[in-house]
Amino acid sequence: MTKLPLDIPLNDFHLARGAKMISFAGYNMPINYSSGIINEHNKVRTHCGIFDVSHMGQILIPSSNYNICNLEKYIPLNLKKLKSNKSNYSFLLNEKGGIIDDIIISNINLNNKTFFYIVYNASRKNHDENIFIKHTKNYKILKKNCLFAIQGPEAYRVLNKVIKIPNNIHFLDFFSTNIKLKNVLITRTGYTGEDGFEISIPIERAENFLKKLLEDNNSILCGLGSRDSLRVEAGLSLYGHELNEDITPIEAGLLWALDKERLNDNNLNGNKELFDQLCNQPAKKKIGIKMENRTMIREGMTIVNKNNDKIGIVTSGCFSPTLNKSIGLGYISSDYSLSNEIFCKIRDKLEVIKISNLPFVKKNYNKGAIK
Amino acid sequence: MNDKKYTKDHEWILLEESVATIGISNHAQESLGDIVFIELPKIGKTIKAKQEICVIESVKAASDIYSPIDGEIIEINKELEKDATIINQDAENKGWIFKIKVTEPNQLDDLMSAEDYSKFLEQ
Repeated sequence: MTKLPLDIPLNDFHLARGAKMISFAGYNMPINYSSGIINEHNKVRTHCGIFDVSHMGQILIPSSNYNICNLEKYIPLNLKKLKSNKSNYSFLLNEKGGIIDDIIISNINLNNKTFFYIVYNASRKNHDENIFIKHTKNYKILKKNCLFAIQGPEAYRVLNKVIKIPNNIHFLDFFSTNIKLKNVLITRTGYTGEDGFEISIPIERAENFLKKLLEDNNSILCGLGSRDSLRVEAGLSLYGHELNEDITPIEAGLLWALDKERLNDNNLNGNKELFDQLCNQPAKKKIGIKMENRTMIREGMTIVNKNNDKIGIVTSGCFSPTLNKSIGLGYISSDYSLSNEIFCKIRDKLEVIKISNLPFVKKNYNKGAIK
Repeated sequence: MNDKKYTKDHEWILLEESVATIGISNHAQESLGDIVFIELPKIGKTIKAKQEICVIESVKAASDIYSPIDGEIIEINKELEKDATIINQDAENKGWIFKIKVTEPNQLDDLMSAEDYSKFLEQ
C-alpha cells in the first residue's frame, strides 16, 4: 500500500518562500529554494544556511536503569557513562551488528530530570520507534516539535541574536532554553561539516523563530539538495546509501563511534560479529571517489577494475561546488582500496576515478580550546 | 513572435530554412536545477527522431536529450562545454545545444506551438 507523503508543520511557510518540494522518506520536503542548490551549498560554506529537518524523528527517554539496560542491547555505547549535556553519534544495531539506523543521542537534563534525547532518520522512524515503544518506559516521542539545522561559519552569530547561547558551548554540547515557557533543545552539531546547531522547538513557536533567524542578511533557507552535497563533501554517511542493515559500523568506517569495551558485552546485539571484524579486515571498505573529468558520479553506478570485473558500487554521488567536480562515496573490495586503476561505469563507458581521502572538504567544527 | 516548436520532453526546436536549432525549454532548466555538465554529440552524426542525442547532468539528475526530428548534426554549442550554466541563464537562446540539417521538415507538424506548450505545462 502506498501512503501519501506527509507535510512537515511549516509546509506552507516553505512554499511561500519558493521551495521546490520532493517526496523524501514519506514527507514532502523542500529540495531547494529559488536561488538553487549550488548557491545554497556555497552559502552554508561561507555564511549561514537554515534547513527545516522536521521530518526527522525525536524522542525523550528517561535515563532509568531499566531503559539503559534495554537500550544498550541496540546502542554500542556505555550509556551510564555518557557525559551530561553532551551529544554522541551512534547507532541502533541488529543481531548481526548491521545498522538499523544511525542516531544522535544526548544525555540531557531537562526540568530537573535526566533523559536520553535521540534524533533519528525519517526513513527509519517505524523501525526505531518499534524498538523504543517495545523496550523503554515513559518515553515521549516529540511529534509536536520542529527541528531546524542552522549551519555555517556565521551560524553562531545568527542564532545568538535570537537565543542567547551560553558560554562554553562547543561541538556536540547540548543546552536547553525557553521561548515563552516552551522548552527548546539545542545541540551544537549538524551534518554539513560546518559549525552549526540543531534546534528542536515546539510547532507553535517555530515559525516566528525561523522568521527571526532569516531576518539576518547572511542567512538563507536551504533544502535537501544542498544538504546532500554538503554531507558528501564532509564524507558523512547517509542511511539508505552508505548505511543499511547489512553493513556494520566497522565496514562503514565508523569504528570511532563504537565503545570498544561494549564489544565484549553479550548484551550488545552483534557484539561477536563486530569483535571479529575488529580483529580481521572486513571484506569491503568505504571510500571517497573523485571524478577526473566533468562527468557525474551517481548512486548505484558500478565500480570496476581494469579487466571490467565488478569490485564495488557507488552509494552517493553529487556535484561538489567547493571542488568544482563530481565526488561520491562507495564501497569497494578491500583488496582494491589502495589501487589507482579503478573505473566507474557511466553510460557504458569506463571513466577513470580516483580514491580520495575523507572528508573531501575540511570540517569546520568549533571544538573549543583543546584540554 | 515565437516560431519555436516544443516537444513533450521539454525541448524546443526552431526551423530556419533547412536548419533546426534545438535546446531545452526554460521550464526544463528550471526543473533540472543547476546544470553542471553536458555531453555534446559529434558533428556529422546522422540521427533519427526520438533518438537519444546527448546527456545533460544537473545537480539533481542526468537527463537524455532526444532529437525531435531526423537529420544530420552540423553544429554544436561549444560554449556549453566551458560553461553549462548558460542553459540555466538563457535556455531558449544562448543555451541552444545543437543544430541539425533537416531531411523531414514535416515531422515538426506534430509538435506544439509555444501557446500549446504553456497549456501542456499547466495540465
